[in-house]
Amino acid sequence: MAPPKTYRSETVILSYTPLDEADLLVTMYTKDRGKVRAVGKGARRSTSKLVGHLEPLTVVNMSLINGRSMDIISQAEVIQSFSSLKEDLTGISKGLYLAEMIDGFGSENSPSPHLYQLMIDTLTVLQADSSLEMPLRFFEFHLLQVSGLMPELYFCVECRNELEPDAHQFSPNVGGTLCLDCSPEDAHLRPLSLRALKVLRLIERSGILEASKLNISANLSGELKSLLSTTVKYWLGKEIHSNSFLERLHNETLPKV
Amino acid sequence: MTQENISGAAPSLARLVQELNRLPGIGPKSAQRLAYYIIRLPDDEAYAIADAVTSVKQNIVFCDECQNLTDTSPCQVCSDPRRDRSIICVVEDPLDVLAMERTRSFRGLYHVLHGVISPINGIGPDQLRLKELFTRLGRLEVEEMVVATNPTLEGEATAMYIRRHQGREDLRITHLARGLPVGGSLEYTDETTLTRAFQGRQEI
Repeated sequence: MAPPKTYRSETVILSYTPLDEADLLVTMYTKDRGKVRAVGKGARRSTSKLVGHLEPLTVVNMSLINGRSMDIISQAEVIQSFSSLKEDLTGISKGLYLAEMIDGFGSENSPSPHLYQLMIDTLTVLQADSSLEMPLRFFEFHLLQVSGLMPELYFCVECRNELEPDAHQFSPNVGGTLCLDCSPEDAHLRPLSLRALKVLRLIERSGILEASKLNISANLSGELKSLLSTTVKYWLGKEIHSNSFLERLHNETLPKV
Repeated sequence: MTQENISGAAPSLARLVQELNRLPGIGPKSAQRLAYYIIRLPDDEAYAIADAVTSVKQNIVFCDECQNLTDTSPCQVCSDPRRDRSIICVVEDPLDVLAMERTRSFRGLYHVLHGVISPINGIGPDQLRLKELFTRLGRLEVEEMVVATNPTLEGEATAMYIRRHQGREDLRITHLARGLPVGGSLEYTDETTLTRAFQGRQEI
């Protein structure tokens, strides 16, 4: 059966680039179709009915028309604009970091409602308090989980023995945690503290609200950030551009705008 | 497009089509149409196009002051004594200066950033003319800075970054009004724009 000519989808806008004179090429993640790239005809004109509905980090009810090479956006209606998140530079930067990861891991014609919901939940928590770091760690961990790349946290990936409550090692290359007795030659091998392992296990089994309330030391936060962003980068096979701007903001001690 | 794609065309014509095809928004068919149009032009008109391209590449420089594109630095705006030096308008792109000048409603100075902060595309503050702006703000006796970046997510992020880093406590920082475009329709307006339009309502 031929696919329908038009379809509707709830979607979160990830990014866009200018196309031709006044069009936009929009990258979005839909609830029921996965990643979609579609053209917003005339969307750069100030009088276009699409203006304001296609901004990144906006949840939109979208009508699209199947095109020969690219789908065309026929209608867009904002469901959730996350306007408070977008009034804060840190909030915008964190939101764009999530969008870049979804763009990297999401596939076309491969829907993942869990990934979609993860994005919405994380943006919602960040909108309430954009200074939180734990929502990003929760997102990174569950992004790996939803993508079938969840690191092993309970057994050594080499000897398969149950992990003792002790310091261990970690490598995305071999799939997770290793005991100290197993040290394969691996450039990605790094130490993993017991406290970091405990937090990762808690992130695995808790919801985003519970995980976001965790109050951990700056050192432990730094260890988790480095471990998870390195793992995401390893599986993505490229740098996450928005991470460097986020790091820059994080390192600045200036007052919040 | 390769020269093989237009077999039968003279090599010089194929090269022209190929070069025109590099321009943004010009596809293979448009490139062919433009190339044949140029061939049919009188010699002096065709050479004028070639001369304009050569001249712009040889003469255009960045204005040392506002960073806009100009033949001579400082540019016409920066060297004009009639311009109001108490107000500076920060824009993303040289084309934005042209749009502002068309309105004839702004008589102050400009500063062109040549882009916006775009974390997803790896464009950070260092790739823009922000350092030049902050140096200029410290040097000039400007009382107001209008941050006229586009009302997009990246434009807003750039405006917030400028506000956070400009370093002057006595400076009035504003942005352009947000609201409904002339010829627009309430029915299709997004909630953020409509909210801001309400906030900025005026007596009639």
